[in-house]
Amino acid sequence: MGVVGESVVRVDAASKADGTLRYTDDLPFEGLYGAVVRSEIAYGKIRAITFDASFDFSDIIIVDHRDIEGRNANVVLTDDQPFLAEARVRHIGEPILLLAHRSKRRLREAMAHITIDYDAQEPVLSMEESLALKQRLYGEDNVFKAIHTVKGSPPQKTGLFSLEKTYTTPHQEQAYLEPQSMLARYDGGRVKIIGSMQCPFFVEAALEGLAGEKIEVEQAPTGGGFGGKEDYPSLIAGYAYLLCKKAGQDVKIVYDREEDIAYTTKRHPSKLRYRSRFDATGKLHALEVDVTIDGGAYVTLSPVVLARCVLHAAGFYDCGYIRVDARAVATNTPPNGAFRGFGAPQVLFGIERHMDDIARHLGLSPAAVREGNLPGAGSVGVSGVPIAEYARLRDLFETARRESGFDAIYDAPAPNRGIGMALFMHGAGYTGVGESMLASSVSIALEADGSVEIRVGSVEMGQGTLTALPQIVADALDLPVGMVSCRTPNTAEVADSGPTVASRTVMIVGRLLAQAAGKLKTALGDYGTPDAYRAAVARYCKSGGPLQFGASYEQPADILWDEDLFYGNGYEAYGLGCYIAEVEVDPVDYRVRVVRFDAYNDVGQVVNPVMAEGQVEGGVAQGIGYALCERLVYEAGRVYSPHLSDYTLPMAPDLPEIAVRFLGTDGPSLGLGELPMDGPSAAVANALVHALGSAFDALPITPEAVEEACR
Amino acid sequence: MQITCTINGKIHRFDCAPETRVLDLVRDAGMTSVKAGCGEGECGACSLFVNGRLVNACLLLAPQIHDAEIVTLEGLQEETAAIRESFAEHGAVQCGFCTPGFVLRAYDYLSHGGERSEEAIRAALDGNLCRCTGYKKIVEAITKVKS
Repeated sequence: MGVVGESVVRVDAASKADGTLRYTDDLPFEGLYGAVVRSEIAYGKIRAITFDASFDFSDIIIVDHRDIEGRNANVVLTDDQPFLAEARVRHIGEPILLLAHRSKRRLREAMAHITIDYDAQEPVLSMEESLALKQRLYGEDNVFKAIHTVKGSPPQKTGLFSLEKTYTTPHQEQAYLEPQSMLARYDGGRVKIIGSMQCPFFVEAALEGLAGEKIEVEQAPTGGGFGGKEDYPSLIAGYAYLLCKKAGQDVKIVYDREEDIAYTTKRHPSKLRYRSRFDATGKLHALEVDVTIDGGAYVTLSPVVLARCVLHAAGFYDCGYIRVDARAVATNTPPNGAFRGFGAPQVLFGIERHMDDIARHLGLSPAAVREGNLPGAGSVGVSGVPIAEYARLRDLFETARRESGFDAIYDAPAPNRGIGMALFMHGAGYTGVGESMLASSVSIALEADGSVEIRVGSVEMGQGTLTALPQIVADALDLPVGMVSCRTPNTAEVADSGPTVASRTVMIVGRLLAQAAGKLKTALGDYGTPDAYRAAVARYCKSGGPLQFGASYEQPADILWDEDLFYGNGYEAYGLGCYIAEVEVDPVDYRVRVVRFDAYNDVGQVVNPVMAEGQVEGGVAQGIGYALCERLVYEAGRVYSPHLSDYTLPMAPDLPEIAVRFLGTDGPSLGLGELPMDGPSAAVANALVHALGSAFDALPITPEAVEEACR
Repeated sequence: MQITCTINGKIHRFDCAPETRVLDLVRDAGMTSVKAGCGEGECGACSLFVNGRLVNACLLLAPQIHDAEIVTLEGLQEETAAIRESFAEHGAVQCGFCTPGFVLRAYDYLSHGGERSEEAIRAALDGNLCRCTGYKKIVEAITKVKS
């Protein structure tokens, strides 16, 4: 029936559009509301906590670190982050106490009657202060993780040009429309967690450490994630669990927008120094990249984000010598974490701005310089192995350049207008041998009526899992897509298919599901028609064979990775993008409008074209926001204006028509979710450089920055 | 204080503090299509009609709806059927959290004779935030609603 490749209507569209779908905060609830009392200082020791004697706290549930029966550590990659501060706080907003009460109003009053005294110390508020060891926050050197890698040897050739530039990227807020929300259900001494999340098994693992026993975790319909609900929900689930356990009642915690923006994880800011040597044609002979990212107060996922920075730092260009030195540092700011692109948008902004700077330095066209540096059959990437995607990359580049009319517009731009390009890749799935460490497994179950249920931990958060995975299974079984559904991800009931991150759901989980479906098909024997299928199911069910079929990830034999040498296949495969932006600058108020955006992608087989287009359009919108308007202001370690009125997101009139093309659709399906976040910022910045002839090396490029550059 | 209003044609009486947000009142009354997105009138996820005007429920306090007629998406299922169908068909729904607000915005726009051009629709959507779609499919869905 071939449902893969068809724009099947999303299975959850109707219940979302009529408002009947229940997100966490919409679930029936008769319990207590939870709230978090947080540190008011960025760094120091807690001296005393005082509960105002004139206020009656007797009906307020209060939890502090002493109530934790298991380990007071949110174990992500390491265990440095406590659920609740004990003696010391390391960032503004660090949780110290938890409160619960039936009335939100009384909860607010109680919070106003708690005073925390501190011995404040000078905080470390920037990457520079961290590296200068203003305070020792982590290890000997404040470095959570450092990666150094060298490929090839420095060129002996003389007479090369050289260029050194520094580019910076800021924090970015995920701004999922549904704030973080978690519900802990109490049932006769046992607690069950239901909430907004990307990774139920991550939350289960974190709670197992906290509680000293396994806690059932179920994903509720999730109103967007973008990485913001990858690592953070473990914390809020822990708070809900602790309050629920102590109160013996259901507890719900829903952040308001202010709390969500101020204290949850963001995209890591970065400082990127690019030093290149190239000849008169713009051909790269040497590239040295120095990357520093700000991890915030705790390790969280920074080491993995950093690895992704390194693997994408040089793009896919052919260069005989590439050196990358990278580090993630500690500061006394709220921890940063996962965000769509996961380290790649930062460095791809760097390398793609740098390619344009090389072109400007030589007076050449940016497209010509990129063309001259396209990889070939022998080119190796930053991790020392051949770039397998070289032919596809050239196809994509040539198609995008030709169809967009890039050269003609570049050579004769209209007044106050410019055109820019970004050519980039995105590793799909986990970095290195990460997928083999996840050891994901999937399960499908045959029901007596012939329908099939997918049982995996991969979640729907807007990207289309509930529709795409059934398409893949239905395709493998030659069934109508309506015969296949997904069970609600619940750690007690589904297989651990790994987290819903890194563009891995369709590529990795989808592939495993197709294998599991293949086993079911073999068990059923031949069937060509719906009637024959029903007969085969009846026959098989009678035979008493197993009704569940599974598959587990096995690393392909040709994937090799040495983490210590940072050598090998950084990823099993890469998605590719060539994005072209045209911008117009208002010479009076310096506002920048993206007037056209062409997004050419190669992600192999597209499972659902309409959903895939939607992913690209949404990612491009986020990327344009990152480029032009999304700006979080931190003052003394505090998010200064944590509101959507200050942190401006693109709205419908702010965005151009985004034209989406998919090329190379015959290969296996690769991840698509992250790719469209990677390219827009450089394409837009390069277009602005073209329009105004000024350097735009720091994001976001607000009207103030444009005015400054035009002075 | 005592507040009386109709919500989707049914009379509701609330005994609440005067600073209670209308957003919380209607959600507590079971109208959970009204979502709490930003709390300051920026995102439009809590859109509902008060005496025929589309407003953000997070910006209204309880006394402002005394004796008013409130209509939420729950009360407009028949009227919005074609819009919702178009949203589904054209891929305008992703995470869905903003969708009820967009459906009501589209309904308000089209029922006031809004022009079916992309530019006009984009301008009409200025008060609603969507972080998933990039708006293109929402605009397309509204353009193509069957009348």
